Amino acid sequence: MGRTLSSATQLFLQEEAAFARFRRALRRADQLALDDLFASARQHLAAAQYAAHALPFEVFLLAMLLEEHKQVLRLRRQLDELLPGGR
Amino acid sequence: MSTDSISGWLLDVYPGEDGLTVWLLGSDGRRQRFVQDFAAAVYAAGPAARLRDLGRWLQAQDAPVRLGRACRRDVFRGPLSVLAVEVLQPACLDGIFRRMVLAFPDLTYYDADISLPLRYAAAWDVFPLARCRLEVRDGRILDLAPLEAPWDLEPEPVPLRVLSLEPDCDPAHRPPRTLRVAFGRRCWSLPLEPVRPLLAGLRALLGRCDPDLILTAWGDTWLLPFLLQACRENGLRLPLNRETGPVVERRAHTYFSYGQIVSREAQVQLRGRWHLDRHNALLWDDYGLEGVLEMARVTRQPVQDAARLSPGTGISAMQFVTALQNGILIPWHKGQAEAPKTAAGLLRADMGGMVYQPTVGLHRDVAGIDFVSMYPGIMVHFNISPEVPQADGAGAHLRRAPGEPGIVPRTLAPLLHKRLQLKAALLTLPLHDCRRAAFQARASAAKWLLVTCFGYLGYKNARFGRIEAHEAVTAYGREALLRAKEAAEDLGYEVLHMYVDGLWVRRAGCQTPADFAALLAEITGRTGLPIALDGVYRWVVFLASRRDSRVPVANRYFGVFQDGSLKVRGIEARRRDTPAFIVETQLGLLEILARAPSAGQLEERLPEAEAFAGSQRRALRSGCVLPEKLLLAQKLSRELQAYASPSPAARAARQLQEAGKTVRPGQRVRFVFTRGRPGVRAWDLPGPLDARCLDLVRYGGLLERAVETVLAPIRLEVHGGGEGQTLGLLPLTYVLPVSG
Repeated sequence: MGRTLSSATQLFLQEEAAFARFRRALRRADQLALDDLFASARQHLAAAQYAAHALPFEVFLLAMLLEEHKQVLRLRRQLDELLPGGR
Repeated sequence: MSTDSISGWLLDVYPGEDGLTVWLLGSDGRRQRFVQDFAAAVYAAGPAARLRDLGRWLQAQDAPVRLGRACRRDVFRGPLSVLAVEVLQPACLDGIFRRMVLAFPDLTYYDADISLPLRYAAAWDVFPLARCRLEVRDGRILDLAPLEAPWDLEPEPVPLRVLSLEPDCDPAHRPPRTLRVAFGRRCWSLPLEPVRPLLAGLRALLGRCDPDLILTAWGDTWLLPFLLQACRENGLRLPLNRETGPVVERRAHTYFSYGQIVSREAQVQLRGRWHLDRHNALLWDDYGLEGVLEMARVTRQPVQDAARLSPGTGISAMQFVTALQNGILIPWHKGQAEAPKTAAGLLRADMGGMVYQPTVGLHRDVAGIDFVSMYPGIMVHFNISPEVPQADGAGAHLRRAPGEPGIVPRTLAPLLHKRLQLKAALLTLPLHDCRRAAFQARASAAKWLLVTCFGYLGYKNARFGRIEAHEAVTAYGREALLRAKEAAEDLGYEVLHMYVDGLWVRRAGCQTPADFAALLAEITGRTGLPIALDGVYRWVVFLASRRDSRVPVANRYFGVFQDGSLKVRGIEARRRDTPAFIVETQLGLLEILARAPSAGQLEERLPEAEAFAGSQRRALRSGCVLPEKLLLAQKLSRELQAYASPSPAARAARQLQEAGKTVRPGQRVRFVFTRGRPGVRAWDLPGPLDARCLDLVRYGGLLERAVETVLAPIRLEVHGGGEGQTLGLLPLTYVLPVSG
């Protein structure tokens, strides 16, 4: 019983901690944006676990990108609705 | 002397001076003691010359044994030629085996540490409270035949005589003054002092009632040790056992299991009748006496053990009986280690069940669907057992391992079948049917055993455990869950959450169980595993992390089913260390909200809920809440001196230690928060508690947190902003400044 490898959640927290120095040197507004990126990656821990990728940070980056793209799609849809003629 | 044929229920089996002692509750109401010859076998494997040496050594020892050659199967090594050492006096078994191991430590031993009641159960295919027919002559059992199986759904009720003994208060808290006694419909209250009349009264009661079960409160930890001590001091005898001889006393101990420290209290077990302590019986609050008896029936452990041992021990006992009945050797020490894996292989195999991050917020008309007993179902359905080879990637194709069922599926299949039958029966039994409670208790006992069997499959010390089998189960589980998700999405459902064996889905217009029937059929078709509707929620709230509202938490949610019943997981009301007052408040709020016939009508209930929260706040501030309701109970995770910064529980435990009470790691310590230092007061300290010292500000904080957990998402729903989150998008929590 018990795991040999770290879970996706543990890996995520390790990766986040590894960027603590990077975060510290950012401006406050940028720090908050970075926190949002990490929070968005956290939405996909189950998929990251299932992927069993040897380089988990690549998966976390993809998860951030995925959430960013969802935001783009949502904003584009809203923009389309606002544009005259609804395009 | 002629042979008599007697029928009745098996009460107790234990080693005596002359074979085994067997107690029977006869169909005629008589409680009878019999003796039975019984040989217990231990097997030894090794080089032929060493086995011959062992045989000669045993004969020279003049031990009561019978030797023979046998062929038995080691599940990991295949068929083996072994030396069978049958011990004819079962009470001598442990002593003979200890000497054997000291003299021949190089041999491999099997079936060495299996308890006699389990061996007896396997040999005669019986179990505690089994109805059976005995052929007896001169007080000796010559033959025995079971008249029922442990898998019968409705065994004939056993006319047990139960004597209840309970002190008037918790002895850990303050010294009790009287003993409440109940037998049938009659009750007595006996003063504990002076002790001689008490002992005389109890002796008369035991003689007159001759109970089969002495059911106590704090009997293991206080009452029976107190009575035994009083007997010794006064030179009196109390017939606690049904026969002469001392009671069985086991000392308290602490052990480490699954990363947690566990404390087991002392035990007092009786002979010829049973003693159960409600406070020292595992899961008593969950399934009561009926569940304990069911545990004993299906695991075949003696009732007094089944009540006090974990479901894991029960599962092991069931596997041992399967092994004994099928000529499979039970290794004394397991020698199997994990097979080497490649890094990529480990990365793929070493995963648990699938746990998703739910879409945070309130959702309407959601179906909760669960695979029925998923992991045991996978073991039985796909034949997963430590000795059954698994093909690479079998999990990804949900393919059954070929060949005969392994020892694990063979053990679990009847239990799983029984649980499914009980659940099906519960669905059809009317609510007022008097059998419901017993069925519920039996289903619950089966559930705990089935839940545990998965952990034991991977537990390195389990005799029939193997990590690869454990990993295979999770691989099948992940595949089944993903196929369920795909089926739901293909049929147009939105998947809100998934958790190991369950999914939460919704689709516009689907509100009744019938609307989800096609989905259930589709999932069963794609996975081969049965899946059932847990219920359709009017609304369900998935909560975010308390630390970061952007991060969902997998197992913190609450919701109301269409029939108005609540389902609550992971919030304060479910935590064992939450004070009763806070639990009452949170559940009270949920019950008010549950009265809204739909999510759309929550708005009407919100003022009532806010008013209730307000009245609870006022009750707390004005000191109207009883200190008992503000009690917290937390477990000590280590020795007191090992705490670097003592937790509240450790500080309370230190107070108890200073007052001369014993404190062990794993124990739960009860305390209240007080003002000033040290901030806590142990509940079980002698002397009264001054209610003015209670730290009401701290309790106010706990109350507020519990209220907000429930009301914040409802307010968001009522006042807008709730549904936006269901897109799975992050809310914009701040406005980015335009950078220069």
